[in-house]
Amino acid sequence: MAANTMVSGFLKKFKPEKKYKEPKLTRSEKKERFKKRLESLTPAEQKYLKRKQFFEAVWPVFRAVIVFGLCFIILYPLIFMVSSAFRPRAEMNDPTIMWIPKTFTMSNIKDAIRAMDFWNTLKNTLILNIGCSLVQVLTCALTGYGFARFKFKGKSILFFVVIMMILVPSQIILIPQYMFFRYFNPLGIYNMITGNYINLINTAVTMYFPAFTANGIRAGLFIYLFRQSFRGLPKELEDAAYLDGCSPFRTFVQVMIPNAGSTFLTVFLLSVVWYWNDYYVSTSFFTDNRTIALMLKNLDANLTRIIFDNGNIQVNVRELIVWMESGCLISITPMLIMYILLQKNFTEGIARSGLTGM
Amino acid sequence: MAKMHLSYEKKKGLYGYGFIALWFIGALMFFIIPVCQSFYYSFNDVKPETGYLAKSWVGLANYKRAFMTDPTFRQNLVTALENMAFNLPVIIIFSMFVAIIINQKFRGRTFARAVFFMPVIIATGPVYAIITGNLDTNGNNNAEQFSTMFETDMVDQLLEFVGIYGFGTKFTELLTTLTSDILNLVWKCGIQIIIFLSALQGIPTSAKEAAAIEGATSWEFFWKITLPYVSPMILVNIVYTVIDAFTDPTNEVMIRVLDVQSDWQYGYSAALAWSYFGIILAALGIIFAIMNKLVWYEGE
Repeated sequence: MAANTMVSGFLKKFKPEKKYKEPKLTRSEKKERFKKRLESLTPAEQKYLKRKQFFEAVWPVFRAVIVFGLCFIILYPLIFMVSSAFRPRAEMNDPTIMWIPKTFTMSNIKDAIRAMDFWNTLKNTLILNIGCSLVQVLTCALTGYGFARFKFKGKSILFFVVIMMILVPSQIILIPQYMFFRYFNPLGIYNMITGNYINLINTAVTMYFPAFTANGIRAGLFIYLFRQSFRGLPKELEDAAYLDGCSPFRTFVQVMIPNAGSTFLTVFLLSVVWYWNDYYVSTSFFTDNRTIALMLKNLDANLTRIIFDNGNIQVNVRELIVWMESGCLISITPMLIMYILLQKNFTEGIARSGLTGM
Repeated sequence: MAKMHLSYEKKKGLYGYGFIALWFIGALMFFIIPVCQSFYYSFNDVKPETGYLAKSWVGLANYKRAFMTDPTFRQNLVTALENMAFNLPVIIIFSMFVAIIINQKFRGRTFARAVFFMPVIIATGPVYAIITGNLDTNGNNNAEQFSTMFETDMVDQLLEFVGIYGFGTKFTELLTTLTSDILNLVWKCGIQIIIFLSALQGIPTSAKEAAAIEGATSWEFFWKITLPYVSPMILVNIVYTVIDAFTDPTNEVMIRVLDVQSDWQYGYSAALAWSYFGIILAALGIIFAIMNKLVWYEGE
């Protein structure tokens, strides 16, 4: 095939191909042609052809309606979010306003930023959650590769543990984990020497330690994805590297990682998103933690405390929506920007990612 | 001999341990030991004391209490399982349908794909809670307001958005009951759609061409080509959906477990969680046994 295209490309240089143009037919001519064609066919074939023609005409319309409808349903909360985030609260009760407010205002957004202490919260979230998610991608990749390409004793039992990590909800093991961090006892001898425990609650260690050992949020799923994707890559890649005297670790870094780009992207995106939206783990080991998801969860209370604290302002439920939606909007904006930048690679890359290899 | 001689395979095996060592240390500390401890708690009466948890062995008492005397747990369990049984086929069929649609070529496909996967980015966490109106924070008793706003008017909104007013009320009512759940449905299907889409793109061109030459209609193509090729992924999706529903902190049983847990009854909450987990595993096992016979694997 390659030779063929080369030849045709070669020919093109000298003799530009003349495109065959179908003579333009009017509608009636087309119909007549189709009739003639039908006559030459058996009844069963005619029926098939007619049905196919009907289906081909109707389906795109049907599909367009469905796609439009579903897109609308998905985007509806977002449209509503943008629409109400920028409108003055009085206009929430105005029945003449459907989508576009009469006056635009930034005050809701400003209030929400103040109530959420947004910039500090963002900084904290980036350091804590995003940092963890990045570390986790790397360690999960390492583990996934170990499971994909090496034979060792006990591998199936260990992989069963990975599957159990996907199955067991983190809530079940929360209390033992809490006790572990609250009364941290390195190597089991720290207590014997000093008679004390180290209290790790309220430190970033509680987030980074699991992430660093590939046990963070939904780590089991990521290990599984990486394993599938590394298994799907051709073995010759590594064999070539080994023959050239590469150590397995160097092979992993220099040969396997570049070839698993789309999986890395998928896992990276999911990991970042799940860490960004997490509030369960980041509340469990912290008494006062400020991440975007948490601040958004407590936005209601914070609004009352910070914005309406003088008691003069009476805000009814419907008006409160503008602040809630503003808070939502500013907290999803970073994720949305990232998604818009990466979405083409993400949605197109999925086909080649490890998901297919299951 | 000072230097050990290992065969190539054994050496590689050792490297394998090296690759998973980090994870293994973590899994031991953050998963295996906690899981065993939590299982042990479920047979104990656990009371928190400073520095440790005071445990006293009670045998199966916690489990007996869960199934015999607890007034809400059984009910929660039934509700959760019912919801799952109802949602599971809907989610699977719906996400397959959407995946087939966005796998076709049409104008605006990239946009449609981006939109369909967007819930994956946003649907977890408090944003989803605010959007669907179940946000339950202190002093907020107006969750009803949010939810009705988003659910009941969906069809009307859509029609008004397109410019149709005063459409037949019976028709909208019917659609409303359907669509009141569609928001939840669509927002939950992102991952499933992704998995199906990747499976659809894995269908070999040779099969497609053969079907086209034989003159298969789209209907036949779906049943005889698409479905067999996608069937392993249906199983994967079922497992994923069940687990997702099961580990969701907003489902009834999970809420109950966490309530009991914050009530300092660690032993009892562990027993609740483990019995729930056991039931889910049994359900998954049954589904697996049935589906495994129906699933078609290429090359068999």
